[in-house]
Parts: sequence; C-alpha cells; structure tokens
Amino acid sequence: MRGFEYASPTTKEQAVSLLGSSDDDAMALAGGTDLLSLMKDDIVAPRRLVNLKDVAELRGIRLLPDGSLRIGALVTVQELLDNAIVKRGYASLIHAADGITSPQIRAMGTVGGDLCQRPRCWYYRAGFGLLAKDKDGAALVPEGDNRYHAILGNTGPAYFVNPSSLAPALIALGAKLHIFGSGGQVEMNLENFFAAPTSANEKEYRLKPNEIVTEIIVPSAGGWKNATYEVRQKESLDWPLAAASVALKMSGKTIESARVVLGHVAPVPWRSGEAQAYLAGKTISEQVAETAGTLAVARASAMSHNGYKIQLARVAVKRAIMKAAQGGQR
Amino acid sequence: MAVGQNVLRKEGVEKLTGAARYIDDIALEGMLYGKTIRSPLARGLIKSISFDTDFDWSPITVCDWRDIPGENFVALIENDQPLLVARDVRHAEEPILLIAAESRTLVEEAASRIRIEYEELTPVLSIEESLDCREIIYGDDNVFKRFLIARGEVDEGINQGDLIIEGCYRVPHQEQLYIEPQGMIAIPTDTGMTVLGSMQCPYYVHKALKQLFNLSDEQAVVIQTMTGGGFGGKEEYPSMIACHAALLAHKAQRPVKIIYDRAEDIAATTKRHPGVIRHRTAVTRDGRLTASEIDIVLDGGAYVTLTPVVLSRAAIHALGPYRCENVRITARAVATNTPPNGAFRGFGAPQVAFAYEMQMEKIALRLGIDPLELRRINMLKEGDITATGQQLRWSVGSEDVLNAAVERSHFREKQEAIQIERASGDSRKRRGVGLSFFFHGAGFTGSGEAKMKARAGIEITDQGRARVLSSSTEIGQGTQTIFCQIVADELGIGFDDVEIEETDTSRVPDSGPTVASRTCMVVGRVIQLAAREIKEKIKRFAAELFGAPEIDLMEGRFVEGGKVLASFAEVAREYAAQNGKLKVESQYASPMGVEWDDDSYSGDAYPAFSWGAEVAEVEVDMDTFEVSVLKITTAQDIGRAIHPLLAAGQIEGGTLQAVGYGLTEELVWDQGRIVNRMLTNYIIPTSMDAPDMETVIVEKEYPHGPFGAKGVGELPMDGAAPAIAAAVLNATGAFVSEIPVTPERLMMIHEGTRRESNED
Amino acid sequence: MSDEKKPDKQGLSRRGFLKASGISLSVPLVLNYRMVKAAGAEVKVLGPGKAPIQLTINSKPFTAEVEPRVTLLEALRNDLDLTGAKRVCDRATCGACTVIMDGKPVYSCSVLAIEAQGKKITTVEGLMQGERLHPVQQAFVDNDAQQCGYCTPGFVVACKAFLDKNPNPTPEEVKRGLGGNLCRCGTYVGVRAAVLQASRGRKGGQRG
Repeated sequence: MRGFEYASPTTKEQAVSLLGSSDDDAMALAGGTDLLSLMKDDIVAPRRLVNLKDVAELRGIRLLPDGSLRIGALVTVQELLDNAIVKRGYASLIHAADGITSPQIRAMGTVGGDLCQRPRCWYYRAGFGLLAKDKDGAALVPEGDNRYHAILGNTGPAYFVNPSSLAPALIALGAKLHIFGSGGQVEMNLENFFAAPTSANEKEYRLKPNEIVTEIIVPSAGGWKNATYEVRQKESLDWPLAAASVALKMSGKTIESARVVLGHVAPVPWRSGEAQAYLAGKTISEQVAETAGTLAVARASAMSHNGYKIQLARVAVKRAIMKAAQGGQR
Repeated sequence: MAVGQNVLRKEGVEKLTGAARYIDDIALEGMLYGKTIRSPLARGLIKSISFDTDFDWSPITVCDWRDIPGENFVALIENDQPLLVARDVRHAEEPILLIAAESRTLVEEAASRIRIEYEELTPVLSIEESLDCREIIYGDDNVFKRFLIARGEVDEGINQGDLIIEGCYRVPHQEQLYIEPQGMIAIPTDTGMTVLGSMQCPYYVHKALKQLFNLSDEQAVVIQTMTGGGFGGKEEYPSMIACHAALLAHKAQRPVKIIYDRAEDIAATTKRHPGVIRHRTAVTRDGRLTASEIDIVLDGGAYVTLTPVVLSRAAIHALGPYRCENVRITARAVATNTPPNGAFRGFGAPQVAFAYEMQMEKIALRLGIDPLELRRINMLKEGDITATGQQLRWSVGSEDVLNAAVERSHFREKQEAIQIERASGDSRKRRGVGLSFFFHGAGFTGSGEAKMKARAGIEITDQGRARVLSSSTEIGQGTQTIFCQIVADELGIGFDDVEIEETDTSRVPDSGPTVASRTCMVVGRVIQLAAREIKEKIKRFAAELFGAPEIDLMEGRFVEGGKVLASFAEVAREYAAQNGKLKVESQYASPMGVEWDDDSYSGDAYPAFSWGAEVAEVEVDMDTFEVSVLKITTAQDIGRAIHPLLAAGQIEGGTLQAVGYGLTEELVWDQGRIVNRMLTNYIIPTSMDAPDMETVIVEKEYPHGPFGAKGVGELPMDGAAPAIAAAVLNATGAFVSEIPVTPERLMMIHEGTRRESNED
Repeated sequence: MSDEKKPDKQGLSRRGFLKASGISLSVPLVLNYRMVKAAGAEVKVLGPGKAPIQLTINSKPFTAEVEPRVTLLEALRNDLDLTGAKRVCDRATCGACTVIMDGKPVYSCSVLAIEAQGKKITTVEGLMQGERLHPVQQAFVDNDAQQCGYCTPGFVVACKAFLDKNPNPTPEEVKRGLGGNLCRCGTYVGVRAAVLQASRGRKGGQRG
C-alpha cells in the first residue's frame, strides 16, 4: 500500500472540504474492508484518506415524521440487522443484510460503503481497469472467463456486475439517497445513483470525488410485501451469483404495483420493467411468479461462460416474489 | 497407557494463546525482507532487465541467476527446475530476480522500478495442447514420465465380459491453501547457512541448501518453525523459497525473510495435478469385472519436480479397491507451460478415485445393478490380488468399512425413502444419496521406504525424560502427540515424560519427508523400535543396579514383584552418570516378504493399505442447481488409532477438503496465469458449508505398524468427491464426469440429459 | 518444546532471535502533522510519514510510531510484538487477524492503526485470565478444535465475540455465527462443539 495522509474530521462539511477533485487526491474511508483491499492491490492510490467514522451525523437509524426511515451512511450492516424498525417492516433489507454472513464484515461494513463498494470483477481487481481492457485496448471479458459477469446490460463497454448486497432491496423499497458536496445536499433516487460507465474515467455510481453519501431515506413499506432472494455457490464469504429483491404494493390479494430489482446480473442493480408491468394487477401464484421471472430475463444475453446465470436470475425473481407473498419469512 | 487415549495435543495450548511463533512471527536484528520478481508470461525469452535509474538502489540487495554459486536448479528428482530464470521462461510466475530491503514497503517500491522485456513464445497450456505436440517443450514428445501396469490378458478378459463400458473423467487443479502462507528466514553464519521456516520436509530443504552453496551436512542447518498447515504444499516448494532467501542472505550477509502474499502463494506455488482418465471396462451381466483398461494423463506443469511419483501413485491406485484379473493401466504425465504441479494430500489417488468410482456408478447404471451390490461383488478382500500383483495378506478392512458406512448412514433406508419421495411427485429440491469405496497405500510407493531407510531416535535427557529425535514435522496433524504416545507406552513411562526435540537438522536424523501417510506407520514404527531398545538397555542396567533380574519398567517406575524400586528418571540419571548419555537411533526396514520390482512395476506397492467407504447425502435445487451436502458418513480402516480424536480430525479435515474438490474449488486460468488468486474467489468450504459428519474408525491392526497403526493422512481425501457426485446422480439423474460440480456444470449436464431422454 | 534453555548452534537461544519489544523508544518523537482549514475548523492531517499513536490493547496502553497506511494488524505484529493475530489474506476475508474492537469482532487487517486509537482492543493474548485459559480456549483444548493452529487465534477471538453477543446459541446459530473465519484443516466440527461447550449453561459438546 502506498503512503497517504490521513484526516478524521467530525462534520460532513469538514469531510467534504478535505476531499479533492479526484480519487488520486483523496478518498473517503468508511468500513475499510473494500477500500483498503483496493489500496493494497494498488487499484486505487489516494494521496489522502478522509475517515468518516468520527462524523457522528452519518450514524444512526431513525423514523422521520412522514414515516420513512433514515439510515445514516455509516450505519453498519450489523446495526441494520439489529434494528427493530428494520426488522419489523423491511424484510427484504434484512434478507439482503443477512446474506453478508461474515460477522466481522457485518460489524465493519457500512450501508454507504456497501453501495459504493467496487465490482468484484477479477479483471478489475487484477489491475486491468474497470472496463477490463488489455494493453491494446481490447475488452477482456467477452472472450475471457466471464462466468460471474453480466447477463443484462452487457453490451459494453462495462461487463462487470454491481456488487452491492443492499442496493437491490433499497431500490425496490423506493429508497432515496442524500449526497453532500461542496454545493450542499442533493437528494437522488438510489436507482439513479448507479450508472454503467461508458469510459475508463467513470465509476459505476454517480458520486464526485469531493462528495459523500450521508444518508439513505427509505419510504414506509406499509402495504408493501417485500423480500430478497440470493443464489450463491457457497454459504459465506462470497458474493451471490444472482439476487432479486421485490416490493409488491398489495391491494387485498391483488398486486397493485411492483418493483423488481435484480442484483449481481448487470453493471447496475437491474430494475426489471417487464416483470413489474406484468405483475401489476395480478394475484400472486407460482405461475405468476414464474412468468415474472421469465420476463425479467427476457432481454438477458449470455457471454461465453455465464449462460447459467440467466436461469439463476429467473429463479431468484420467482423465489423473491414467493418469499414476499409468504410474508418474507426465510 | 497413552496409545488409544485422547491425550492433550502437545503443542495445543501455545497455539491457542497466540504464544506459538510461526515464521512470520519471528523478526531478527538486521533482518531484510525479500521479494521474488516473477514472469507474467507463460512462455518466452528474457530480452532485457532494466532498473529505474531515478531510484536509489544502494539499500537494495538484488540477486539474479548469476549469483548462484553452483548449478542453477532446485535439487529434487530431475534437477531441471531453475532457482532463477536465466533466459527461458517456462511458466507464469516463474522467479527471475530476488530483491531485499530493510522494510516491506521499500522492497515493494523497488519491485515497481524493475522492467523486464520478453520475447513471447507460444505456450502449451493444456493436456490436449501438450499431447498434440505442435509445440515441444520437453524431450521429444512433451511426456515427462510413463508407467505401464499389466496383469493377466486384457483381450481375453474383454471377451469374457458381456458388456464393455467406457468412461472419460476429468479432474481439476486444486490449491492446497494452507492457511499459513509459505515463508522462510535465511541466516548467514560463520560456517554456512541456517534456514528457519514453514515446511514439511527439513531434509529436502537441507539437501537443496547443501547443493546450492556446496555445504557439508553440518554447515547447512534447517529448522522447521511451527507450521500452519501443509497438505503437500509444503513438501517440495519450500526448498525453492529457502534457496531464494539464502541467496539474498548470502549476498547481503544479513538475515533475510521471505513471506509470500496470499495471491503470490496461490499464483506461483504447486497445485494438485489435473488429469484426464479414461476407463474401458468389461463386465459380466451379473456385475463381475473381467477386464479393465485405464489410461491416465496428468498435467505436470513446466518442470518434472515430483510428478513421476504422483503419477506412479495414480497408476497403482487406478483400478480402485477392486478385483480384476486382466488389467492394463497406462499412465503419462505431460509438460505444460503452467506452474509445476506437485504434492497435495492424496498425491494422485483422489484423481483416479473420482474416475474409478464414477466408472463403478456408470457400470451399475448400465447393468441395472445396485451400486452398493456392485462394490460388494468386486471388492478386494484379504488374500486377493491387486492390479500390481500384490497379495493382500493382512489388515484388510474393506468389508468392515463398507458395512460400517452403509449401516451408520442408513444407506438402504435413505435410498428407499428417496425413491418413495420421488414417486410421490416432483419436488424442486431433490435429495440424493451416494456411496464411494476407496483405498490408499500407506508409506512410500514400491521400494521407496527400503531405499529411504528412515532414521529416528530417542535420547534420555538430563532430567530423565525421553526425547524423540525425528525430522518428521508437526504440521497440525498431531505428529508430536502420537510420537510421544508411542514412546510412552513402549518404554513404560508417562506421556508427559516424553518430549520432542526441535525439528532441526543439526539435532535430529533424517526420518524422511512428512508425506505419504507414512509418519505414524513408518516413522512411528522406527521410534517404537528405538524405544524398545532404550527399554532393554535401561532395564538391564536397572537389573544390575538393584540386583533384581526380574525388574520391569511400568508407568515410569521400576518394579519387581509388585515393589517399586525407583523412578525411571532416577535410574536414567544414574545411567547417564555411569555410562554417559543414553541415546538410540533406529532405522526402518521393510517387513519380511514385502517386495517390489521397479522394472516390471509389479509386486507389493505398499506394505499396507488403509480402506474407506463414504456415504454422502445431498440436496440439489433443481432450479438453481446448487448442491448442498447435508451429511457425510465415513468409515475408515486406519489400523490402530493411536489417538482417536486426532485421527477423527484428520478424517474430518481431509473429507472437507475433498468436499471442496468435488463441489467448489476451481482455478480459473487466463493465458497460463491464475485469475482467481484471492480467498474471495478461490472457494473453499466455510463453517456454513461444512456438512454434518459422522466418522467411524475401523481398526484392522497392521502387524508391522506401531501398535498396529497404518496411515490416515491421505485416505480421507479420496472419497468425498465421488460420493457427492454419486449422490448428485441419485438426486438428479445427471451423470457427472468432471468436477467440481458447480451449478453451471450441473445445469449443462442436466439440460443435456433431458434433451437426450426427450430424443429417445 | 523447551527451546529457551537450549543454546542454539549460533550461541543464541531461539528467543534471542526475536526482536525485543517493538516499541522503539530510541526514535525521537517528531510532530508529523499539520492543521488544515476545513469548513471553518482546523483539522489535523497526519502522514504520510510516521506519527505517534496510542492504543489500548488488552486493557494496557501502548504507544508506537506508524505511518497512516499501517494497519492495526501490522502495528500489533510489527510494532507491539503481539503476533497472535495472523496475516493470511490481508483482504478482510479469512478471519485469521480477528480482534475485538469496542466489543465487536473486526478484521484487524482492514482497520488502520491510526483509527484504532481510543478503542478498546482485545487480542488473543488478552484472553487468558492469569494462568487460566479463557473458557473458549479451554473448550478448544477439550474438543481438539485446532490442527495447524494458524487460523486458531483469530477463530478463538471470533468465537468469544460471538458468544458475547449470543450467550446461548443453537447449533444452527453457531454454524452461521462462525461464517467470518476460514480453516483449511477442517476443524469446523470441533470448533462448533467447542463454542457450544463454552456457551453459558452448557456442559456438553465435548467430542471424542
């Protein structure tokens, strides 16, 4: 790891003013489990780290007057899991957080950090860049080993999958994000926070080098059945192969409207308009869930080694719907 | 008595408190940190090496191949692997330069200032590419080694069969992934070189070090520090690291420490040999094997290293624990431009065990015979003859382990329950139960032990305690504990009155390497013999001392006619005062009648086999093709269990590594380099993946092992992958001929099977 | 092994090889920080050179001088000679470096030493109660829940943290609760038994 300066401010204003105009200048340190690993592998090399852990206002989970839930960006995954309000109303978020099975990662990792963690793509992690190109500029993923890569939104130049565990659940719950920068605070739908990069100097999320995520606002999930389902090769210390989060606004037995978001299948958490449109007005059944799953992957396309993920994603959607219907029990 | 008791592990407490010092826990005054500069290319020629002139190189020690005083190779079998590449790069991650500096950060900085230019050559990256000989990278035909085992008349046997069944099986690389990364410290001394480190075989390192600097036995000193797992991965590779550290230390005249990063360790060091194994079996309608033709090809990697020995074990175990009069086994190991493959628990046997057990499943399927019944019909029993013509004279627990595994697991009941469940409708989660049956030769193959003549000894300390002198290493498997148990009981003293000499080549004799399931059976035997001789000597002395001809030594006391005359320690001290230090060294001799012919590759391949049978229960998600192993029941005949709890630990641990081999562990290669070199993407089982395990130890005593013990280290690695694949077959109808059984692979097979059955 | 008594070939005991305590008092303290104006306040910016830090480990104060890039794991091992926590993956995956920080299990490889100041840190070296093993350690002994021992210190600490949070776990909770540590010797069966034994109100769990 290269040397760097270190500062530990106590307010978000200080934090932002200590950040710079590029990641080379400075980066924000939250849980550290991803950032420090990236620095050890020389994938990023900021000259300064700005520790956010002493910024008290980034912590805490509380209900807002309008019934929505405010989750500080520095809330740890374990704090999320232990929170009574989250447990009561946000099953899909609990499922997603529970999928992070290492107690140490849960104790260290933060909600904001989970949203901003960088892709697990092994080409990226080996230093070939986020768009994974060889020295002649040819894309490595389509011809390489892409067994864990994208099946949706994979027309290039990005082929990695978004690694966030919590984003699909939060997006399905309609979460918004507060970003703080030199120009003050901006609110944004979490869904819009993510975008597939189109050039090498872009990231997979919209956060300027001198901005930080301060909090996540999740609307009340009253009347919404919600759940997350993950498919994984191994039980722990691993990212899922595919995941789906759903939130279903119920009117009696009928789905009034639906949000369906897939994880680990595209460079961004993948909102499936097809599945959502189909589900509206339906009564939940195995058959309906099955069809929604099929529609969710209708536009999926396999690369050389990841065709199996299409099936996994289809199943994840189906099972997330059925799990939500059953009240979100595991 | 200590043998058979679960006494406390000798080194247990210091490991638990953090007090145990492993190599990376040791820092010496003036020590430098070393690093290896490696090739990113799989094959090529070095054109130039340049050092950034803007960087201050004065505090950096740099070694290249020209710094090697003698010949440039790691002393092993063929001596073909260079310590540092001079010009020809033969695999990715091959060492080219060594650098050392005062701190890890400085050495990393220096490493980033070195540029090496190559001329790229076309690499040979798979068994198929090696066999097609478009590029020749070794000898005339890329073949490192061949073996032929022939018995009976195969053509006749084929005629006797009613059916010929063919199968082709593929097995992957596997990473040992000992938790402690490889590491060494070399210390230049006035007279030579001392090396400390993590290793299985101090005398391998000793040999390499002597060769490197032309040192005498005494000038080279190798000390094994507490070692955090090996599994074969610290058999041969530590010699390379030791020589590297020693080269830097020699040049800098300061101690040098090299500890591998995890990614470097995964990328550069040895792996289990991948292979392609073809079976052609003739069987009668009632399930008897009449002929078996087996062809094995293993990928040896870029250099010979231990490959011939691995191939030999693979060939000898290829038929499995089955009777067949007419056998022809051909085995080849080929060269590729990948890091040399090497020792890993099982050493060729897990590869062929997957193949022979899946072939049995295939035969059962084709004949419509129950797989358990098929095993019973063909299993080797006492008096039977193996593929190499070895008659099994003793300690054959084959039937016992099969019966125990079947009974304990309720295999039959589970089979039936699954059938009923299946008939009652299609569930998306399907259960399956599968069986495997296997054996493993303990000790070196063939004439290995007779040539090795393992030595070990015992000395009596000034405090009147017995100290074991052996170069067999403790790597977690319990060497220290079981040696002390053997000595305690043989000598007639308490377990706590036996201690272990440090594993230091200047203090302990060469007991041979800590490999091949030989530590307990072979070295334990030598130690038992030494204890026996010590007892004779000290008893004779005590008899004279006390004028008590009928004197005996029991539980640390000299007694005659029920009367305690003195303690062992008292007599030992008196002995030392009169005769000097009491010390005995013994040597291994093969049991009478155990004979092997290297030319015809026939005879007694091993003095004894350990036997195993395993039942795996799985649940397969028919939508996602995730396989969960619910339970494994395993029965293993290891002869007398010196320490049942340690033995169970060996069985559980080996079995879990085999679960990984069968289900999740797969190295991903790109242009001859390993892509998944992290613990997040090379996937070994976690606590949550570890199935419930039931272990039955069967003790068919081996007359020439210490207290009847055989080997246990490797056997557990052989059975789980085929048992799981058989259970997956039972659950899904998908016949798996390649591991690991990933969701991706299983889905493809299942789709293919479904398409086939639709076409029928 | 009783290696402290025996002189080595080089006339040094093995312990003599070990660098004496890592806190090098010989290095003069340099004020290696500057104040930077940030949003109207003065914020201390340290590094990239060494800066003095104070840590509370196993209820004892320690001081050292480290660069900001030094992880807590490196500081423990290299500067404070507390080598129980091991460096294995160094990427927040394997758990061999686990320590307890303010009551929570963390991977010390992914915590900066400098940010661990002011926290209560417990390492494996702090578990013994005098000469007596901690109940978790004792349960590891009783169940032989270790082989090579390299994952063991981290595993023991993780188990303690787990039991502190879940004093009466079910076997399934134990299995899940140990998901942050890797063992390659395959001692999970023993570790699970040990955790159950060490849990409050349980006497069973012993194997063998």
